[in-house]
Amino acid sequence: MDLMQFIDLALDIVSIAALVSGMVFVLAGSIGVLRLPDFYTRMHAAGVTDTLGAELIMIGLILQAGWSALSLKLALIGVFIFLTSPTASHAVANAAYRAGLKPHLKRFAPGREEEAEPTETRP
Amino acid sequence: MTSIPILDFAVALGLAVAMAIMLARLFLGPTLYDRVLAVNSFGTKTVLFLVVFAVMVNRGDAIDIALLYALLNFIATIAILKFFRYRSLEVALSEIAIRRRDTGDDAQSDRSEPTGGA
Amino acid sequence: MIQTVDLTQYFDYVFMAMLLSVGIAVVRLRSLFAAVMLTGVYSLLSAVWFVSLDAVDVAFTEAAVGAGISTVLLLGAMLLTSRECNPVPASRHWAALAVVVVAGALLFYALGDMPVYGDPNSPANAYVGMEYMTMTVDDIAIPNVVTAVLSSYRGFDTMGEVFVVFAAGLGVALLLGLGGAAGKRED
Repeated sequence: MDLMQFIDLALDIVSIAALVSGMVFVLAGSIGVLRLPDFYTRMHAAGVTDTLGAELIMIGLILQAGWSALSLKLALIGVFIFLTSPTASHAVANAAYRAGLKPHLKRFAPGREEEAEPTETRP
Repeated sequence: MTSIPILDFAVALGLAVAMAIMLARLFLGPTLYDRVLAVNSFGTKTVLFLVVFAVMVNRGDAIDIALLYALLNFIATIAILKFFRYRSLEVALSEIAIRRRDTGDDAQSDRSEPTGGA
Repeated sequence: MIQTVDLTQYFDYVFMAMLLSVGIAVVRLRSLFAAVMLTGVYSLLSAVWFVSLDAVDVAFTEAAVGAGISTVLLLGAMLLTSRECNPVPASRHWAALAVVVVAGALLFYALGDMPVYGDPNSPANAYVGMEYMTMTVDDIAIPNVVTAVLSSYRGFDTMGEVFVVFAAGLGVALLLGLGGAAGKRED
């Protein structure tokens, strides 16, 4: 019985830590999308943190829900997001790159298009 | 191992704030790709919000909507990108391959597309 | 559980504020692509709001139809137009504003006759609704009463609706020329 209580407590702590850290990741990614200067930096802020934050939140919620149909659906959504979120990020970045969108390479002139160096051309 | 309503509420509120920030980028976004990125990320955050909300109020039904939207969001992103590039939803993959062969590298031929949608 | 019910109402305000800002942004934007994406976001937000209001069935329909089908239809409609919308003369703005204000005033006038939220004596709760609630368990052994009403008690009604929706979808497909549009690309 003591062991069971200990496991419960440990799972609670892991669940809280996963939920809180997942929320922090998602919020940090959102602020990055708002604050960063050009499309590609925003892309990396959103694409990276969304997947990790989503998975952490899913893990935290699965630990809260226990063994049930709810947990199964949560795990399914987690798998879907794990597969689709990086794919969609790649598709958006690839489409922008192929359409010729240039990143801003000058560090202190994020708003001026004409000062931005062109990217290296594709091999 | 029960749900902790206050923690769930805090996480859901944080996700709502993240959704609001995404909306701001969606309104501001100078290029169309910024907007597509914001819509995609907004959808992911909405799915997370629905899931956290469903666990918070103990309603399993809401999870189904999150499941539906997790799939729909991805398809919508791909569809918008494809539409923006080919001006149609019905270009078959074989036709894309033919066009690629005809024009050489299609990265060059796509340069005529405007980069700033807004 | 009482505490969580109290907490969820704050989300209603958050989502209403987001819906309002998305609506204003749709009106303000010139790029039609962005407007189409924003309408998708609008229906997604209203779906989330419906979940927050405990109307999961409506939210499901809204997510599927609003974010899925109507986005595809609007993209199809965009094939027939340009990518940017032309500026509208200010006189039409005023006419539209007048129509909206009159319709909104009528709705607010009608709001006075609505029963109180959750009133047990309201018409929705008093007569046949309660019978459905009690009979569904015995008649049709499924937990969701709305599904039972739609697909069994009012089965013919739902079938007619399906016919109407199918005809409407067919008409829209014919109008947009979906299926023949692939040959009309500008390149």
